[in-house]
Amino acid sequence: MTLALAALLVTAQNPAAPPAKVAASIARLFGPGVRVDTLRVDTASVLRVSRADSLLGFAAVGNVLGKDQPITYLVAIDPTDRLKDVDILVYREPYGGEVAYEPWRRQFRGKSTGDSLRVGKEIRSISGATISVHAVTLGVRRMLVELTAWHRSGAIR
Amino acid sequence: MRTVIGWGLLVVMAPCPLRMLAAQEHTTVGGYGEVHYTNPTGPKTPPVVNLARFVVYVAHGFDERLAFRSELEVEDAKIEGGQAGGEVSLEQAYLDYRLGDWITLRTGLVLPPVGIINETHEPPTFNGVERPGFDHDVIPTTWREIGLGAVGTIPGGSGLAYRVYLVNGLRADGLSAAEGIREGRQEGRQASFANPSFTGRVEWARPGVKIGGSFWYGGTADTNEAVGTGSFGAPVALLSADARYESGPLALRAVVANISVSDAQAINAAYGRSVGSRIAGGYVEGAYNLLRLLAPASSQKLNAFLRHERYDTQASVPAGVTRDRSLARRITTFGVTYKPTWNTAFKGDYALLRNAAGVGESEVLSLGVGYQF
Repeated sequence: MTLALAALLVTAQNPAAPPAKVAASIARLFGPGVRVDTLRVDTASVLRVSRADSLLGFAAVGNVLGKDQPITYLVAIDPTDRLKDVDILVYREPYGGEVAYEPWRRQFRGKSTGDSLRVGKEIRSISGATISVHAVTLGVRRMLVELTAWHRSGAIR
Repeated sequence: MRTVIGWGLLVVMAPCPLRMLAAQEHTTVGGYGEVHYTNPTGPKTPPVVNLARFVVYVAHGFDERLAFRSELEVEDAKIEGGQAGGEVSLEQAYLDYRLGDWITLRTGLVLPPVGIINETHEPPTFNGVERPGFDHDVIPTTWREIGLGAVGTIPGGSGLAYRVYLVNGLRADGLSAAEGIREGRQEGRQASFANPSFTGRVEWARPGVKIGGSFWYGGTADTNEAVGTGSFGAPVALLSADARYESGPLALRAVVANISVSDAQAINAAYGRSVGSRIAGGYVEGAYNLLRLLAPASSQKLNAFLRHERYDTQASVPAGVTRDRSLARRITTFGVTYKPTWNTAFKGDYALLRNAAGVGESEVLSLGVGYQF
């Protein structure tokens, strides 16, 4: 399938996630020229990323509500279920956009479901961005649990 | 768009109806509020309980780019004809047009981005039942005026963000010795636009750190030529800097501000006041989450805090005014804030209100609850 057609389908089914942003995020996290397959689990879709028969990891896109707008984010894990990185794909509010800053997102790297991810403890907050910090942290935690559970149960492989 | 051949990017979606919100019209309701108990020392000062603020936040997204945001406030629980006290007012009401992370155009009733509390004023975000005295007498929170401007982040992950507005000016006839520029605010009510004013802020953020600098510049003379002429007649020039730092159980914050009222003498002559030609001061505050020691596993907070404020609304006076040293205030507040969740707070504090003249000093015990959602 061409990317143009894939992009059209993505936009039709998830208007919150611009395909260009998803593509750029996958390329940034896993490097260029990777193979991406879409796996369906329940009603969700997971991107399986591989290169030459070796699995590089999985990624999924989610939305959490900030103060009044959804925040669209992507979570990627490696084959050992460690969080590879978090990307903020679209931030729509005028305040709290600091959650997209690398120094804040960096705090999630390498975490697994065995690690706790709590604001004010493992995850430092940002003054003036409290609502977004809590929302994204919750969303990342939820998605990490889901991806890990699906991977371990064999729903994605 | 860069293409990567061989992608099977068929469907990327999460099991969440929120994914549809961004693309369609939707309304969001939120709010904050606080109830206070205050007991000043001294004879004939009984304790008072007050529903200080009840604020409803309503936002509406018209499409991906255009949104309306507002805060409607009831102060002191009720207003009734012929009785003093109480207030119903709009704290904010504006339209945002988002062009990108780097710029959102905004117009309406906006908050001058000065200091910490004016923009971030929800009760769980600050220690102490009452807002700091500095954020009443020097930076007149909640300060809002009508105008237009832009907000955004500076691209490249620098951590820098800005806000800049052109708004209506302050009015010289509201300036006073004790409360500085506070009653010069027009707050969106038939406001004179004789003195357009500029205000803005640049801030830098990292996890646990935020540092900002703010300004306001604009005339106040309105149509009174004895006070000043031209758009910038009898100007008020404000500069402020603030910093917030959080690391583990420790939280520190500090704000300073300097306001220059260069034509204070003319203002005083016109309105029979004793407005200072310079209003200045600031505060420092430290807090420590005691639960880090008492219950390390808990994600609740029990912050013990100490704040020291020093400010003078007559830091300098023009000719013809004798400095009132009781306006050189020193306020020390200490207490605790218990936060079972990040957006609820139970507060208790004790404030020592002192001044350089040593007159009218008092002490106040306060209890309060606050929330935001």
